[in-house]
Amino acid sequence: MSELTYATIDQTILQTLEKPRPGYWLIVAVLAGGILLGAACWLYQIFVGIGVGGQNNPVAWGTYLINFVFWVGIAHSGTLISAILHLFRAGWRNPIARAAETMTVFAVLTAGLFPFVHLGRVWAVYFMLPYPNQRTLWPNFQSPLMFDVVAISTYLTVSSLFWYTGMLPDLATVRDRATGLRKKIFTLISLGWTGKHEQWRHYTRGYLFFAALATPLVISVHSVVSWDFALGVVPGWHTTIFAPYFVAGAIHSGLAMVLTLMIPLRRIFNYEKIITVAVLENVAKTIILTGMIVGFAYATEFFIAWYSFNSIEIEVFRYRMLGDYRVGFWIMVVCNTLIPLLFFFKKIRTSIGWLFGLSLLVNVGMWFERFVIIITSVARDFIPHAWGLYAPTAIEFGIMLGSFCLFFFLFLLFVKHLPSVSMTEIKETLHEGAPHAG
Amino acid sequence: MNRRTFLKTAGVGSVSVAAGCTSQPEKTIYALVQAPDDTVTGKALWYASTCRECPAGCGVLARSREGRVVKVEGNPLHPINQGRLCMRGQAALQAVYHPERLDTPQLKENGEWRALSWAAAEGLLQEKTRAAAGAGAGRVRVLTEVIGESLAALFGEALDQWQSPPPLVFEPFAYEALKTANRMAFGVDGLVSYLLDQADLLVCLGADFLETWLSPVEYARQFKAMHALQTNRKGFFAHIAPCQSLTAANADLWLACRPASEGAVALGLIRKALESGRGQSLPAPLRVSLTAASAPYTPEKVAQLADIPADAFDRLAARLLAAKAPLVLGTATAGSGAADVAANLAANLLNRVLDPDLTRIDFAHRHRVETAAPRAEVLDFFKRLSPDTTGVLLLNNVNPVFALPGAGIAEGLGQPGLFVVSTSNFMDETTLLADLVLPVRMPLESWDEYGGKRALISGLQPAMGSLTAAPGLGDVILRAAFGADPPFPDYQGYLQARLTAQGIVDGKRQWVEFLQRGGRFDLPAAPTLAPLPAEVPVAFDPVPAAAASLVLVAAPSIRFFDGRGANRPWLCEIPDPLTKVAWQTPLLAHPDTLANRAIRHADVVQVRSAHGTLEAPVYETVGVRPDVLVMAIGQGHSAYGRYAQGEGVSPLGLLPPEADAVSGGPVFTAGDVLLTPTGRQMPLAHTDGSRIQHGRKIALTTPLQAAAHDDAHPPKAGLTMEDFPLTLPLPEGYDPMRDAYPPHDHADYRWSMVVDLDRCIGCGACAAACYAENNIGVVGAQHILEGREMAWLRIERYLDPQDERQVIFLPMMCQHCDNAPCEAVCPVYAPHHSKEGLNNQIYNRCIGTRFCSQNCPYKVRRFNWFTWQWPRPLNLQLNPDVTARSKGVMEKCSFCIQRIKAAHGTAKNENRSIRDGEIQPACLQTCPTAALSFGNLMDSESRVRRMVMDRRAYQVMGYLNTKPAVIYLHKVVQEI
Repeated sequence: MSELTYATIDQTILQTLEKPRPGYWLIVAVLAGGILLGAACWLYQIFVGIGVGGQNNPVAWGTYLINFVFWVGIAHSGTLISAILHLFRAGWRNPIARAAETMTVFAVLTAGLFPFVHLGRVWAVYFMLPYPNQRTLWPNFQSPLMFDVVAISTYLTVSSLFWYTGMLPDLATVRDRATGLRKKIFTLISLGWTGKHEQWRHYTRGYLFFAALATPLVISVHSVVSWDFALGVVPGWHTTIFAPYFVAGAIHSGLAMVLTLMIPLRRIFNYEKIITVAVLENVAKTIILTGMIVGFAYATEFFIAWYSFNSIEIEVFRYRMLGDYRVGFWIMVVCNTLIPLLFFFKKIRTSIGWLFGLSLLVNVGMWFERFVIIITSVARDFIPHAWGLYAPTAIEFGIMLGSFCLFFFLFLLFVKHLPSVSMTEIKETLHEGAPHAG
Repeated sequence: MNRRTFLKTAGVGSVSVAAGCTSQPEKTIYALVQAPDDTVTGKALWYASTCRECPAGCGVLARSREGRVVKVEGNPLHPINQGRLCMRGQAALQAVYHPERLDTPQLKENGEWRALSWAAAEGLLQEKTRAAAGAGAGRVRVLTEVIGESLAALFGEALDQWQSPPPLVFEPFAYEALKTANRMAFGVDGLVSYLLDQADLLVCLGADFLETWLSPVEYARQFKAMHALQTNRKGFFAHIAPCQSLTAANADLWLACRPASEGAVALGLIRKALESGRGQSLPAPLRVSLTAASAPYTPEKVAQLADIPADAFDRLAARLLAAKAPLVLGTATAGSGAADVAANLAANLLNRVLDPDLTRIDFAHRHRVETAAPRAEVLDFFKRLSPDTTGVLLLNNVNPVFALPGAGIAEGLGQPGLFVVSTSNFMDETTLLADLVLPVRMPLESWDEYGGKRALISGLQPAMGSLTAAPGLGDVILRAAFGADPPFPDYQGYLQARLTAQGIVDGKRQWVEFLQRGGRFDLPAAPTLAPLPAEVPVAFDPVPAAAASLVLVAAPSIRFFDGRGANRPWLCEIPDPLTKVAWQTPLLAHPDTLANRAIRHADVVQVRSAHGTLEAPVYETVGVRPDVLVMAIGQGHSAYGRYAQGEGVSPLGLLPPEADAVSGGPVFTAGDVLLTPTGRQMPLAHTDGSRIQHGRKIALTTPLQAAAHDDAHPPKAGLTMEDFPLTLPLPEGYDPMRDAYPPHDHADYRWSMVVDLDRCIGCGACAAACYAENNIGVVGAQHILEGREMAWLRIERYLDPQDERQVIFLPMMCQHCDNAPCEAVCPVYAPHHSKEGLNNQIYNRCIGTRFCSQNCPYKVRRFNWFTWQWPRPLNLQLNPDVTARSKGVMEKCSFCIQRIKAAHGTAKNENRSIRDGEIQPACLQTCPTAALSFGNLMDSESRVRRMVMDRRAYQVMGYLNTKPAVIYLHKVVQEI
């Protein structure tokens, strides 16, 4: 990063906020159309019934919860990168922290929609809130779904605040260079940041505390999500390793999504000097680790099923490997555990093309992991007479497409309207005495 | 804006929003402004009547709420069904409330239907009959289903007026072969009834008496009286037939004999019996001729002819000869060919050999279906039908066009100059060809009388106001025959006078009693029996040699009977007991048959016989012989309303259209059938996910020896699948070793159900009763394929993986666990554990997360994927005591909580606690074999409490420690 100066950093990053080209707006419009399509599918479902999806008895949970877990998983590495790696003083995370955090916030937002989409009677969703009422009815805090409500809302709150707090000095930088309406808006949202020493002192302390507060959430949120399954009696769900297994999986998918997002970003915005290949390489190395953890978890599940001598447990895992959904299972195994091993080769983990391609495959694999867990377990649970199959319908795909459009729509708006790389933190990485101007 | 204005605006705004939105289709609650004297809004009235869904004639009680019948149940006083009903009986209501029920008469003019007023239609009928009668004798003809004596008498009088012969009684299943055999062997030209409950061994040559044969509810009850475990013993039941009917699936031994070889097996048994010295008291000529006739049927010969294992035959014969009270039953409902005459005759003679006094055959109470004319007569009638000899043909609730394809019925009815009147309420295949459709009241709306057996008179009375303005059939006939001056003002008067004249009712008091009790069941039985014939023509044709070709067997369906049930949505929706396929008619074939022709399960095949062709999906099963194909009769209608038309296929078109020469009955088998794959597939709408149990402790059996002897020590309790103990849903079922949480406190009652698998025959009557009682949605074939059927109670059918011919049935409904997995996971407490141990589902609280269903190990929870529809007026059948659920909520078996609450009300009014047996959930109420028991586990004297102490008691997957309140008793199996 020797050639970077404070000025080139500002210049490179602020350049991204220039007036966008028409192509940008075209993509934004297409994505908005996708969101509308998803919303229309959801409306149709609300009016007609959940039956427009493919869920049935016994598989009463389908892509809505798969996507929920998928997006919550994506959300995880943002906080991991910005909070945990911050605490560990891993400087390589600075260039990607902002974008990763943004990814977190938007992914949680997207994920948070799916429980609503999933509900049979979404208009009665407020029954889940502990509001005082004459019927003295109260939510059931024993239910993992109530844990979810608490965990996801907490996570959304904390990650948004963390994201916003970290952005304050940058917002002020934008404000200082802006004119007109933009200046007014950024004046408002930069909350009177002047860069005084006192403000910096509070800011760095505050940021550190936020990082410390957010760190346990990385572990807890996906643990809680895993308990949606692990606290059930269903074979294939009812295991104690689910919490760490899900957390590792979440980080695995999140890191892959970071690569998926960063590689086009650095290319389009000429961030090559800021988001260097070394940074991406570090992400890839971490993916090797998480991939191996996930692979270990898969193996453990199979071992315990065999070791339990429980015919029902054994059947569920046999079915996963060889049954109706075996394709999904093998996609999951190959993409999540074998493909990341390719990153052991330096050539591959430093090649942008390979990095991008493999990160997509890991994303696909992680989606299928949730599919395999959620679908196959109930499709073959205790009562053979009730066994059945599930396949998603067009409505479900429409809503899923809508969710991806929503995520990328928000992210696209973000990259052109807010600094997508933290100028403050990049400047921190410059060694002492770097020239302030030039 | 001040506070008042704000409140006003907000109030008006919210009201208009609320009024503007209509989300639910059915919100109106109908209440009577001025109730009739005997009606209290909210209180049900029960009217005794008689089921007319088949000729058996079971007594029913119709439950009427605010003027509409919402449920029919068996009449406990009725000797035939003793309070029980089959699924067809339960579904009788859906004919009354059928959306395509005709509400006006229809006249066909130039091929177009035109609605007519009732008066005009009756006027037309009167005019046409008068004209026909005026044109000569015998020009008014009536073809009717089996009807009661009184209506038959009225028809007779009316036809006398018209100088015409009495009505011809048509039933597709008229048991011609059995009647012929009875005439030959017993000298009785009719259908005797059997006392199965007094037998200790039953050999059956195909009679499907648990499904359709003669009187299935009655025989199912009697069968379990002899076959269920009673203090260390259990009757034995062997079934000899080429395919496995539900009856055969309930047998201890099913010998899959070659088609038409049942008689040979019976003759072999006769030979064995005579050899062992039985039959000494038979008249000498008979004994001699029998000995001669049975001589060729050595065990080896029988085994070879029937293609059954010789040792199995030997053991059966030994067991038969050792039995104290054996009884042999004849061939199946659809068994009236020449071979069936032989088989029935052999069965009758075997009964005479084994039991010379025929003490287990009841000659006094003969089945009324014996009045049906033989098929040959019916065919002859249609052959002779012509405008030259007949002016008016009245069809009363018969569908010969569907039942007799290929017999030229349609051409016969379509002749110009012949005026055909149908009294059917539905545009079925036959009615479509009529000139005038004059729908008459349905049995639940009518006055009548019907005795399913001789010496029984069972009453029918209007249990509801007529849904249409239709007149009663008797009234129509009275007015048509006697014009303006009928001898009786109406048919009710005619009926009452006739019963009075016969001494059946005497005066008003007895008439009221007759109506209240549902009939007169204490009439003296007619003098029974002329001496049995001493000589019987025992000429048996040699059994046809084994044909290499395939034989198709058309079997009556427990769901649709002869096809008349095919338009009742419940009967379509509830799957077939053995295949578990709903809405469709698959062709049942043996795996070997299919493998030879490269056909796979669910392939669509073309079936071709000498008489017709059809296409149907294949269902692979070992329940048929490799040289036999089976298809159920009932579906495949080309008319008959939205639920019947185009659903399934009918095998009748493949059968020979002419009657058998010996019996005069139809032949329900077709030989030399060709199977060709079409290359297409049709997903089968089956409700079972797997046919076997995969070694899980679900439906369990125990050998008779183990069940009968009480010396075994109770097994040691552990925590695994194999040794987990019975954990009652009571505090005593909790053990700190197993349970982290304390037990529930129950107040006075802990409801529980005991299911005796040894009594369950898998007939599905309980499921139908559940649909009727609990307003369960009907989803149709497509949604069943998608796994959305809504049945709260299902019969799980499992095959033994070692021998897939061994079948076990297990009724599965909400287990009302004490430690319920569903309750813990719901975020809003919609599944709620009641003070009485019920697992209540609070519909209004449910937000549809479906976590409860995911977590239910028994998968008994049902989600409303859509708001299910009840096309008008089917909605009038909805039980007002039970909420109709809308989309987005979970539902499931409630143990019929509405009945529990009603019992609470009664008990409280009478200042007592609820008595044992007072509450009867709908499933239990209708179970023909009394397989279910319900009661309070906290009462140490209750029936269920005593039953759970049985050594056979277990809980399905009890090792999950859910502590289910539904406790099962092992099925007791025995080897021959």
